[in-house]
Amino acid sequence: MLKGSLNKLGNAVVLLVAVLVLNFTLIHIAPGDPVEAIVGEMGGATPEMIEQMRAQYGLDQPFIVQIGTYLGNVLTGDLGMSTYYGQPVTQLIWDRIGATMLLVITALMTAMIIGTVLGVFSAQKRRSILSHFVTVIALAGFSAPVFWVGIMLILLLSVSIPLLPISGMTSATSEAGGIAHVLDVLHHLILPALTLATIYLAFYSRLARASMLEVLGSDYVRTARAKGMPQRLVIYKHALRNAILPVVTFAGLQFGQLISGAVLVETVFAWPGLGTLAFESILRRDTPTLLGILFFSSMMVVVMNVLTDLVYRIIDPRIKAR
Amino acid sequence: MTTPLLSVRDLEIAFRSDGTDIPVVRDLSFDLAHGETLGIVGESGCGKSITALSLLGLVPSPPGRVTKGQILFEGEDLVGAREQRLNQVRGNDISMVFQEPMTSLNPVYTIGEQIAETARVHFGLSKAKAWKRAVEMLSLVGIPSPDQRAYDYPHQLSGGMRQRVMIAIALVCEPKILIADEPTTALDVTVQAQIFDLFQDLKRQIGAAIILITHDIGVVAQMTDRVMVMYAGRKIEEGPVAQFVRDPRHPYTSGLVSCIPRLMMPPSDEVEDLFEIPGVVPAPRDLNRPGCPFSPRCNRVMPRCRDENPALEVRADGRKVACWLETEVAA
Repeated sequence: MLKGSLNKLGNAVVLLVAVLVLNFTLIHIAPGDPVEAIVGEMGGATPEMIEQMRAQYGLDQPFIVQIGTYLGNVLTGDLGMSTYYGQPVTQLIWDRIGATMLLVITALMTAMIIGTVLGVFSAQKRRSILSHFVTVIALAGFSAPVFWVGIMLILLLSVSIPLLPISGMTSATSEAGGIAHVLDVLHHLILPALTLATIYLAFYSRLARASMLEVLGSDYVRTARAKGMPQRLVIYKHALRNAILPVVTFAGLQFGQLISGAVLVETVFAWPGLGTLAFESILRRDTPTLLGILFFSSMMVVVMNVLTDLVYRIIDPRIKAR
Repeated sequence: MTTPLLSVRDLEIAFRSDGTDIPVVRDLSFDLAHGETLGIVGESGCGKSITALSLLGLVPSPPGRVTKGQILFEGEDLVGAREQRLNQVRGNDISMVFQEPMTSLNPVYTIGEQIAETARVHFGLSKAKAWKRAVEMLSLVGIPSPDQRAYDYPHQLSGGMRQRVMIAIALVCEPKILIADEPTTALDVTVQAQIFDLFQDLKRQIGAAIILITHDIGVVAQMTDRVMVMYAGRKIEEGPVAQFVRDPRHPYTSGLVSCIPRLMMPPSDEVEDLFEIPGVVPAPRDLNRPGCPFSPRCNRVMPRCRDENPALEVRADGRKVACWLETEVAA
């Protein structure tokens, strides 16, 4: 088991380096560089100034040197300076990560729990209204674009019925601290989290339903019934624990991709997280920030895979043996 | 006459397909006395397993259900009994050992827990007491060092051991009836023998009535008191086991008995052809045709067999056979 973990870790490191190289190359190939964006914002500059700025960011070096320097810096934990914000990229990411985590974890947990519950119920009564409802929700969730869902929810819950704030993480007028601040943030959290959760919910209800249906038809569930277990125990003790495995896998994968999942929702709701940061850094050709975020999200994927693995071991004893 | 422990009356089980109920078991009646071992034999698809499941109210529904008849357990009809009542009967009064030990245990719980929870649900035992009982059961079914093995998960045990665990689960509440649905089909031959030895032992110790479903005639001869032969959802012959093996009446039964290969002593070099019954069991939806359902495969078929289905007749010696040959001979 230890050897397996070490192997996995080794693979992950190789993977991360590959991701770095690929990202760096892709961005390098893309037209435009940070200096052009800065010059554009300044409203023009002399060729000498441009040359000087290029040298400052190391952009005058050959590609191979640039990538070598970058990889070396990353290994020491230095993701470089943002060309737009003028701050270290690690600092920028660190400042924004909390907001994104809050949003994604809330949305993911909500979707997972409600989705699993819906899936479990609808699997038990396959021809019930609830079961059809789950199918419809899932289909809608699969096909509806996340930004559209966000805008519709804004129209419904902020415009037609003015219950919730449209955007941001805190009220502009609020200077309260402590409990009031927490409540303010939560109030702002509801809409974006709901939007993101709606999309995730489609996956989870569908997944939980399919997985549950399979498990309910299994021999060991028949055994549990033949033992005279009450329905409640058959479902929640014998079936659910087996059926939850694919849900956990999926949650692990999805959480790893939290940034890509959150970009659109954060943009729609002006939520100050990594998603908006990534979006802005693309617009501003802020290469170091963009690369940093991409690197960070691939790290998240790796970390989540390891965590998923651990949760697996808790749920399913067979995995320990392998 | 005293009430039999279990009495099945005119049972019909149907599966719904394309809007119509297609019976897979029909006109099935049989009794089971206290402590008796009844064998049910027949090829795959004859309705043996579904009959067994119906005794526990476990016919997969939808699409299946019991459409007619009664299942009287100590005089109480289990057909249409409430789920709550059935849960009291299942595992406590009537329990079942399935064919597939590899998949019949829940992979995420220890075997001790899977035995103990049955005792907790039916007897309301405390966690500690139920665990102790589970360990006792493991030792009863011949699992070495049961107090450690109880913490094992199913994947850590062999097929034979898992089937022992299944038997322990079935017997933990000392049921009055134990249904064993081809309990050794998935096991190695040597392990099969061990499991049947175990059944014999336990039968003496616990005194439960056993319904043994199998297509192994050798096992039937060894284990059972009485045999019931099913073909295409019906009972076609029933009688004491000795006569069943020595003098099968129905051509299907004699076919089944002849299918057992005999080991020559000394083995001859000439290869002896194995007897087989030609053809396969008809599909349930083809059973509405007139005539005996076995007639297309019968080697003693008569013109009458193709037009009329023989009813189950009781012979002078008490055996029951559904075959025109019987009436012809008697007449």
